Amino acid sequence: MSSPTHQSVSNTPGSPEPGARGATVPVWLIVLMVLLLYWGGIYFDENGGWFNKQVYAPYKSIAEVEAYQPVRGGIDLSHGKALFESNCALCHGVDGMGKPGQAPPLAGSEWAQGNPAHMIRIPLYGLTGTITVKGNTYTGLTMAAMGATYSPSDLAAVLSYIRSSWGNKASPITAAQVEAVKKEVGNRTVPWTPEELNALK
Amino acid sequence: MNANRSTSPLADGNSSISISETDVSCRVPLFVLFVSAAIWLFLASVFGLMASVKFHDPNFLSNTAFLTYGRVHPVATNALLYGFGIQAGLGVALWILARLGNTRVAQPLVIAIGGSLWNLGVLVGIFEIFLGNSTGFEALEMPGYAAVFLFLGYLLIGICAATTLHSRRERRLESPQWFFLAALFWFAWIYSTAMLLLGGTPVRGITQAIVAWWFSANLQNVWLVFVGLAASFYFIPLLMNRKLHSQYLALLTFWTLILFASWSGIPNSAPVPAWIPAVSTVATVLTIITVLAVIVNVYKTVGYGCSQTSNPPSGKFFAFGIAAFVVAWLMNIAAAIPDINSVLHFTWFTTAQWHLNVYGFFSLTMLGAIYYIVPLVTGMEWPFVKWVRAHYWLAAIGTIVLVLPMAIGGVIQGTKLSNPQVSFIETAKGMLPFLKASSVGELFILLGHLLLLINIIALSVRYHKKHFVPVYEAATAELKPSEAKS
Amino acid sequence: MNYGPLIFLAAFLGLSASWFGFVLTPQVQIGREQQATNTVNTAEMYPQALPGLANQGLEVYRENGCVYCHSQQVRQNGTAVNVLLSDAGTNATAVVEALLKANVGVTNADEVNVSGAPKILLRDTTVERAKAAVTALNGAGAKASVELQPLGPDIARGWGTRRTVAADYLYEHTVFPGSQRVGPDLANVALRLPDGNWQLRHLYSPAAEVSGSPMPAYKFLFEERKLEPGQRASGDAILLNASGEFFDPAKNNGPAVSEIIPKPEAKALVAYLLSRRAETPLFVAPMTPPPAANNSSATNTPAATAATGSTNAPAK
Repeated sequence: MSSPTHQSVSNTPGSPEPGARGATVPVWLIVLMVLLLYWGGIYFDENGGWFNKQVYAPYKSIAEVEAYQPVRGGIDLSHGKALFESNCALCHGVDGMGKPGQAPPLAGSEWAQGNPAHMIRIPLYGLTGTITVKGNTYTGLTMAAMGATYSPSDLAAVLSYIRSSWGNKASPITAAQVEAVKKEVGNRTVPWTPEELNALK
Repeated sequence: MNANRSTSPLADGNSSISISETDVSCRVPLFVLFVSAAIWLFLASVFGLMASVKFHDPNFLSNTAFLTYGRVHPVATNALLYGFGIQAGLGVALWILARLGNTRVAQPLVIAIGGSLWNLGVLVGIFEIFLGNSTGFEALEMPGYAAVFLFLGYLLIGICAATTLHSRRERRLESPQWFFLAALFWFAWIYSTAMLLLGGTPVRGITQAIVAWWFSANLQNVWLVFVGLAASFYFIPLLMNRKLHSQYLALLTFWTLILFASWSGIPNSAPVPAWIPAVSTVATVLTIITVLAVIVNVYKTVGYGCSQTSNPPSGKFFAFGIAAFVVAWLMNIAAAIPDINSVLHFTWFTTAQWHLNVYGFFSLTMLGAIYYIVPLVTGMEWPFVKWVRAHYWLAAIGTIVLVLPMAIGGVIQGTKLSNPQVSFIETAKGMLPFLKASSVGELFILLGHLLLLINIIALSVRYHKKHFVPVYEAATAELKPSEAKS
Repeated sequence: MNYGPLIFLAAFLGLSASWFGFVLTPQVQIGREQQATNTVNTAEMYPQALPGLANQGLEVYRENGCVYCHSQQVRQNGTAVNVLLSDAGTNATAVVEALLKANVGVTNADEVNVSGAPKILLRDTTVERAKAAVTALNGAGAKASVELQPLGPDIARGWGTRRTVAADYLYEHTVFPGSQRVGPDLANVALRLPDGNWQLRHLYSPAAEVSGSPMPAYKFLFEERKLEPGQRASGDAILLNASGEFFDPAKNNGPAVSEIIPKPEAKALVAYLLSRRAETPLFVAPMTPPPAANNSSATNTPAATAATGSTNAPAK
């Protein structure tokens, strides 16, 4: 094939392919790379949160994120919900509607929204006998002392969740109230009956 | 003509082929790739200018859905990246691989078919963006069905390029060959990953954005840089008639690109766990080693007695390309440092950096290569030789006028954005003078691309006249007497 | 020297490292997150999936490339820790003394003024000191709490109440974090501009609502119709007067001569915009919600709006 007619744009077509010489990499470049890698390690250690998926800038470590969590002075309803769904919902239902032959409803229940002192006693010590909830009478049911092993704050969370969910609108229950009831009742091994509870002031 | 290559250790006449045989084997595929690339480049700058003008007059061509800014802008970037960038890059890679390997390009027809598939993919993709079927991920807007054509076309070309490399007669591998080999394989990987994870079986939530950031960083900071630097490391020594200063520095460039640049691109503010942007920041800062290695290598190569250079106009394109590479990467590294990033991220500064990297560095390097290669593979000189120099000046001035106001305006914009006392609308209005200046740059660039387009079409016409018209006339000449008799 | 395969293998390993790091690892780590209860005392699940109309609006946002000018990420560069005194109790002297004893950087009784509660008693202190101060104050009969206030220019601009995190985007396909702020950030636009009708008018003519706005008009999302004198306008139409301005009965700039009827795309886009809120306090982005936000549902579901609620088709 004919070569280009004049060479103003391209170089001589027959020129040899360019190779490369073997000059060494300057030492300063290697030193700089090592220094930068060192800096990179420090930077990552300080800002990377060590691959924890819960650390977002501007927080630098999971410990810092935890320190910044709001103090739980009040009641933790999400925690209460989790506890309710893993323990209480088996009989009372996730929707709080109860189950025929197993448990009366909590949603809309006058007991669940009633006197906190009565409500706290039920999971702490259990309940037996005949109970009327929302106009229906439930006989022969017994609830064990499901909440006896809960810490006061856990029980307060669960009860507050019940009292504020599914249309219930009662005041939350605090850990202090739970502790007060525990102190007041002391060692009791038999479940309460509705009559006993109603007899309380 | 210098048929045998004295430098080749195997140059014994039998196993070596002449350089023009190499060039001729590239003729058909490179013609397909370069002419389509020139057309896409022109279209990219037309839509780029249109998008730019929309900032001075928001209601310019805004009453039809398909010409709204949010569609014209991705059309311009996709035409530049996929229509021109990757296509021209593949063409240049094929030619350099064949040249350095002292071999013919493998399966020219398959490459031409691959190129046609690629162009079909870009055409479908651009059309779909206009219709509103963009994927919504930046630098990856063309939807899945376009991606199938693109991917198949790329595979055909890529396999032929790898075969060309494999069947080389000159066994020694030079740095451009490493760069091309890694680039060829890497695009197939990143593109298939991104399309599968974003289109096919989409990942959830913000992980989509992480994949998209990873893809666009690997396309623009790794693929384009591999191909652009490979062309520079080939052409700069070639045009200077000497060897590259150091293959070890080239090797260092290669490895730092692989190990660091491939992790760049995730912004500091990204709504992802802190380790991801932290790793990305460290990796981006470490690419300073890449930049320094390139500076030293090119400076030492050019520095050995500049006098004897033949200095064809395409040489200027490579010089500008390397300068733009250095500036663009220093901008990229600076913008990755957290304190600077918090000011410059989300501003026009990053857009300026994008233009300088994709256009100033990569595209200008490819243009230089096209201006050099086309006369060799067609055996014909450019019809308007002087326009090559004119194109260089339009492109160089255009790039500076496009990028400089945008970068300066971006810094001002970022400073204002970090000050909540300055109202947002004031900040937005403050950018307008800078954007108007950038539009002038876009116009210069567009004119340059028009020169290239006319030049390459005129060359095709001349080629047609020289090679096909005589054949046609010879064929019809035999027919004419018989027609006359009847 | 033929190390082609070797180079290929090494490049393959080196490059695929970034694939493992930035594609595979985040997918394993946060790609399977689920909706969860948040840290606020509401037991609401977060995040909520986008309602259907907002999801259609997401597609309109994608089609028209809104992402090229609007980001949806709020940045945060720190968190201020304050001590909020909501009730000083009955014995102010005891409260001040308790605070002095708590060793929280307050050394002089004159520096503290507990009257005028509720107020911020200690500003921008450390977490440890704030917690110690709250314990001391509550012990002395006052009511105090730690207030966490995210900081940064984005938050100061009112673009959000905290930084955005991965959970905010969980149910979105496509996500639009964006890369450019030609226009303002939209991560919490529903909190800032909750009026659906304003959003529609702004889409129809941005410059009429925000003077000097460089945003293009999206008139192709609307249909214009002349109003005959005395003709009733469609329910959700925007009215224009003779000079093309928005008709406003309050300004008495009528009469309205034409009406602009939003197409379903416009309504969907507005529904999407009004779903843009990411203000729920989360474990990964702790903050004290502003008092008003305590009662309202802290989810990313949009409030029903006049613009999106009605579905009456344009009259013939």
